[in-house]
Amino acid sequence: MTKTGMIDFRGVNKWFGALNVLKDITLSVEPREVVVVCGPSGSGKSTLIRCINGLETIKDGDLVVDGQRLGDPATNMTRLRTEIGFVFQSFNLYPHKTALENVTLAPIHVRKIPRAEADKAGRELLAKVGLADKVNAYPAQLSGGQQQRVAIARCLGMRPKIMLFDEPTSALDPEMISEVLDVMVAVAEEGMTMMVVTHEMGFARKVAQRVVFMDAGAIVEAGTPEEFFSDPKTDRSRAFLSKILRH
Amino acid sequence: MIWQQFLSLAGSYPLALRGLGMTVMLSLISLVLGTALGFGLGILRTGGNRLAASVIGAWVDLIRGTPFLVQIFLIFFILPELGIELDAFTAGIIALTNLAACFICEIVAAGIRSVPTGQVEAALASGLSRWQRMRQVVLPQAMRIVLPPLVGQYVLLIKDSSVVSAIGLTDLTRVGWLVVQRVPNGLLVFFLVGVGYFIVCYPLIMLARRLERRMGAAHGEVQL
Repeated sequence: MTKTGMIDFRGVNKWFGALNVLKDITLSVEPREVVVVCGPSGSGKSTLIRCINGLETIKDGDLVVDGQRLGDPATNMTRLRTEIGFVFQSFNLYPHKTALENVTLAPIHVRKIPRAEADKAGRELLAKVGLADKVNAYPAQLSGGQQQRVAIARCLGMRPKIMLFDEPTSALDPEMISEVLDVMVAVAEEGMTMMVVTHEMGFARKVAQRVVFMDAGAIVEAGTPEEFFSDPKTDRSRAFLSKILRH
Repeated sequence: MIWQQFLSLAGSYPLALRGLGMTVMLSLISLVLGTALGFGLGILRTGGNRLAASVIGAWVDLIRGTPFLVQIFLIFFILPELGIELDAFTAGIIALTNLAACFICEIVAAGIRSVPTGQVEAALASGLSRWQRMRQVVLPQAMRIVLPPLVGQYVLLIKDSSVVSAIGLTDLTRVGWLVVQRVPNGLLVFFLVGVGYFIVCYPLIMLARRLERRMGAAHGEVQL
């Protein structure tokens, strides 16, 4: 029996038509580990984390999440998804529901938690992400940074084992990025298993145990943030770093 | 002369009320059934099952591409040949319900398709079941798009119900035909028939306009 992580990719491949978007991916994420995934656009990093909760399906190889093999008929994907929080680049809050209702929807309907209890937990979570005063606001009444914090609270409401972040700050105005990153740091420090697609290298240095660099669908390099930033091993990662760290 | 016609018309008052009642009853039953069926078909039309979606698509095209009068005749005159006896009222309800369901199916499907993929993905990622995703996330947002044309469609269907007079149902239009045989003033009689339909439809026209304005509002709460 080989050692299994919380998220285990073994020889995973995926194609969009003729395009090999994930090439022979092997990667294991341990419980409580924070892994940052970076790379040029189109390198497959979003596709990589979207596979973990089945928003994308894989062609071949094995992907085991929380001990369950994806694509296995015995795996209940809907149930597995309740253990995986997913934060989208474009927030995807439900526009017809208030901040609190966004947070409590899944706990009430999926976890079957009584509404009063879910409301209480939801208010606490919104307070935790600094939005105690926005409980009854609709998404359209919130700034991008506030919406993304509600989205993180919405995930936390399900008490997931894993949180995935797909470029959570890319759609934000610069002055709102840090409020979202602060919340993510707090989540990481509580011991959440996290995979974060981001180019926020400050975040990577602060909380990530590992940085994975992808290019053209393959993992080119993986290492601790110190190793990766101070001594990138490949030309492609050096070229990438010189572009994003220039400013 | 005109005065006599008015007196005679006034005498037809009970018949006119019966016709109006028939039109309202027929429309109400068909619209309720057709709305329920139309939402079901619309959801299936946009669902994962390709076969169901294409069968529904073909049926909707067929119904939308043939005259309603022909559909009623087929149901009322052809089905009995196959051993299915229907009275005129049932045949009218079936034909009108089917027509309503087909138009409403397309309206609902368009509404569902207008909901951004990200909404479905967010609901999927939270572990909501297929029905919960539809009920809690997709339909409430689709309703913004669906409601104004849905009510507009109701108006069209109420007017289409006049075609059932062709199979002998005493609805408002048929009352017109009956009365005009006694009171030979077609202009006056059918003017009044038109007024009858307008009285039924006008509140719905107002409602559709109101909904259209309201749906443009800020955060998409659907409140009726």
